[in-house]
Formats: sequence, C-alpha cells, structure tokens
Amino acid sequence: MIEASYIEIGGALAFVEQVGEGTPVLCLHTAGQSGVQWRHVSAGLAARGYRVIVPDLPGHGRSEPAPGGPVTDLGTYAAWCLELIDRLGLERPYVAGCSIGGKITLDLACRASDRLAGVVAMAADAWTGGRPSERGLRRELSDVAAASRTDRTHLGTLAVVGRSVPRDKAELIATMHRREDPAISTSDLIGWTTHDLRDALPGVTCPAHLVVGADDLWLDPDAVRWAAGRIPGARCTVLEGIGHYPMEEIDGFDAVLDGWLQELAAVEKAAS
Amino acid sequence: MTTEQVLRPGTGRDPGPGRYFEDFAVGQRFTSTYRTVTAEDLADFTRLSGDDHPLHAGPDGILQGPFGVAIAMGLLQGLGLHGSAVLGLVDTHWSYRRPMRVGDEVRLELAIVRCRRTRRGDRGIVTRHMALVDRDGVVVQDGTTSAMVAASGPGPDPVGLAFGTVPWGEALVGRLGPRFAESLASWDGAVGLRAGEHEVQLRIYRGKVIEVSGRAATGATFSLEADEPTWLELVTAPENEFTRFAMTGRFTTRGNGYEYLRLTAALHQIVDAARALAGEEA
Repeated sequence: MIEASYIEIGGALAFVEQVGEGTPVLCLHTAGQSGVQWRHVSAGLAARGYRVIVPDLPGHGRSEPAPGGPVTDLGTYAAWCLELIDRLGLERPYVAGCSIGGKITLDLACRASDRLAGVVAMAADAWTGGRPSERGLRRELSDVAAASRTDRTHLGTLAVVGRSVPRDKAELIATMHRREDPAISTSDLIGWTTHDLRDALPGVTCPAHLVVGADDLWLDPDAVRWAAGRIPGARCTVLEGIGHYPMEEIDGFDAVLDGWLQELAAVEKAAS
Repeated sequence: MTTEQVLRPGTGRDPGPGRYFEDFAVGQRFTSTYRTVTAEDLADFTRLSGDDHPLHAGPDGILQGPFGVAIAMGLLQGLGLHGSAVLGLVDTHWSYRRPMRVGDEVRLELAIVRCRRTRRGDRGIVTRHMALVDRDGVVVQDGTTSAMVAASGPGPDPVGLAFGTVPWGEALVGRLGPRFAESLASWDGAVGLRAGEHEVQLRIYRGKVIEVSGRAATGATFSLEADEPTWLELVTAPENEFTRFAMTGRFTTRGNGYEYLRLTAALHQIVDAARALAGEEA
C-alpha cells in the first residue's frame, strides 16, 4: 500500500508517497506536474524490491509552495531533495527523474555522487543553450502575456508524446498535465533553461544512465549523448517512438526502470 | 491523390502535348532515375558559365549551383510530363544544401505543390517542388519551379489543396466544427492563412466567419504562414501535427503574437478543417 505523508522541508510541508522496502529509489516529476506522473510505476517497482519515494516538489501537487516563492533555480530543488533524503534517512538511494526532474537528477549526481547509488536522468541534457528564452518565460509569468495557457499545455504535451503511444493514452497524459499552476511551471522552465551543468558533469562519480525519447521535440538526442559523454562511464539510451515522458508513456515502465537500475548496480559492483 | 512514377530520362522522341493544366494536381509525386555527375559536366559547365573560380576547378571541384537546376530540368523532361502544352518557365526558387561533385549520383524527386489557373482561364501556373536527392536519401539541392501550362478546358478546378486561396478558405470554413464557434465566441478579428506568397483571410466576429477574402478590411490580426509543401504535408499527415510543426518553426506568424497564442485551439480546429477538406479530395 502506498503511504502518504507530509514532511516539513525547507520551511514548508512536502507531500511524499512511499511504497515498498529495499533499495531506495527517489522518483522526480516534470515541470509544473506532480508525483502523480509515477502512479503506474511506483507499486510495480516496489514489488521488484525497492523502497520507492515519490515527492511533489515545492509548489507542485499537494506540497505547499516554497516560502520564498516559485523556484527558478533547479539547484534549489536539488538541495531540497538532499534534505528529503536526510529526513527519510535514505541510505545511498537511486534517483530517477524526467525533464526538470531529469536535470535535478543530474544536478544531484554532480553535487552528491558519494551519497547516491546511481542516477537515471530522462529527458535532460547538460544545458539547453538558453532555449526556450528566459526573457519570453519571464514575460509569461504575467497572466496578461500568457494567452490560452491550458490549451497550449494540452496541445503542447500531445505534440511531445511519442508516436508509439496510443492516442487515448496520450490524451490522458495531456489532460492531466493541464492541472499545472502556470506560475510554478513557468518558473520551473526558467530553471530548466538557465541551469548549466556542462562543467560539473565530469565530476560525477556515481553510475549514470541518460535516457531520451526519439520523438521528444524538447531535446536533441545528440545533446543528451554529449552530456552522457561528459560523465565517466555513463550510458545513453534513445527510446524509439517515445517522447518527453517515458514513465507515463511506456507500459510496464517499472520493469524497464528496474532493468536500468540493475545495470547501474552491476556497473558499481564492477568498479568496486 | 498521390501517384508514384518512375520514368527514364532522355527518350528524345516528340512528346506530343503532354499534360495539360488540368492533368496536374497538388500532391502528385514523380521520381526520376539517377544521373551521375561526370568530369565532362564539370568542364562543360565551367566553360559555359565562364566562372573558373578555384572552387569549381580540379577533380574535386564543386559543380556550381545552377548546374543543379539545369540537370533537374533535364531529369524533369525525362519524366515525360511535359510536351507542347507547356508555354514557358515562370520562376525558380532554389537552395543549395550540399556541394555537388564529380561522381555524385542524384535523382529528381518532384511534387506538385500548387496549381493556379490564370485570369485568362485558358492556362495555369503549375508549381513543382523539386529535390535532387543522392543515393543516401540526402537532399543535395531543392526548391520550386513554376511553369505556365495550357488548359484543356475552362475549369472549375479542385480547391481542396489550393492553400491560401479564397475558394480554399471558403471550403475550409464550411468544414469548421461547432467547437470553433464556441472557442471564439468572444473574439473579433481576422486570421490570415498564408501559403508561400498567397494568403486568404478569415474575418471572424463572435465565433462566426463573416467574410473570406484576400484581405480583410483592416487586415489580419495575425497570419499563419508556411510554404506550400509544408501545408501539403500538414493536411495529408496521418494525424493533426500542427503543434509539432509550430514548435519546430515550420509555421511562422506575423502580426499580433498574443492573439496568435490566444487562438491556439481555434487554429488546431482550422487545421482539422483543412485536413477534412484535403481528405475529401483524395
């Protein structure tokens, strides 16, 4: 059974789901969304021998807003995750994240490799090259400049779901993504477009696997390969027919992620 | 709607009248055989143009850009489409994407992207997207060329793929669903739909399209723009990919950017209507 709790982190209550026992895996959601994106994964993953921890980042889902207002620095989220790891007493967890969650995952590997068993970073590169533009995003923080926001989120999500995903499933994903708070999502995207990990990646010492969907219009697979190339020993996988949200798009994703985590464990074992 | 034909170039016989204006339809596709670029081509073309810049000299010389247009026309002639019904070439817009060298093999991939009868009515302009493609499927050079072609009758002509024209706009409006009126119930403005150099504007007031014309009285609030091959791809794709096209810059807008964003769902519905219209023509 999934256990829900509210834990005070950084001066605000964080909503955290936990299920299972075993090696801890911290699962991070995408910009503006919440842990609900992992709803089809967490129980199955737990059944495979993991303690699965799915938080809602500050201001998202059922977590309270960050006391300082919407977060525009993904490093702030990474520090928040480390605090969560401390509070839960997680011993060398894996971290798996997607989109901003993927980049937060990479950031965690950069700042705290020694505390992690390994990372799976999906739909994230080292740096976006400043796209989308921070100026345009800051403009969108004013409602008056953000016309038809929910329609754009809905259709924009549909456009980046992979072509192999049945349309009714894609429609469900896009409909649920409409639930975002635009002030939070846009701030997340400012964090996404300004976060530069290019120089830090060579310092990652934990096993890492970067994953990108071939149909993901937000990312260039070559940029993800390049990022993986900066991390000693890192793997890179391009998923055909998949877009920006592998954990929501792929049926039986718990088995896929379990496979990747076992590979990371094998890498670490071989190294030690 | 689309046909695939492979014909041999250079048959040399009298082609007769060939195809008339009405025998061409947007979406038709034709593919030539491969042609090898020879050392003789390089020498001949350098002599003809008089341009002996070092780039074009020696065994590794790059064939000048217009060489591509020239052989594309030869490969086109080899398709056997054109005879005496062709009255002349009207324009060429061309891009050089990869260098062409001796030994390269290219073929012509041609798609009809626009057929527009002239005011006189006895002839029309047929615009062809032409791509020179190598053995790996890489486009070496491409662009459009337009030819004036004699008509065999007075028309009328199909409108389903006549992007950017008033008849196309009118037919499209007839296929807008009820959600279009709902989503624009509070809107007042005009939307331009532009294909290449041709634009139709839909004047919309409170969800109703009250006029379809080449230019609304006070102009378009914004215009949505792409070239004809892009429109063709959009309306014939298996699903409505408008957002993907917009996100990857294949459609651009001019005019009021805020109102463009505001009409996100309505534009999707306009593309749905254009796709329904194209589907009926197929």
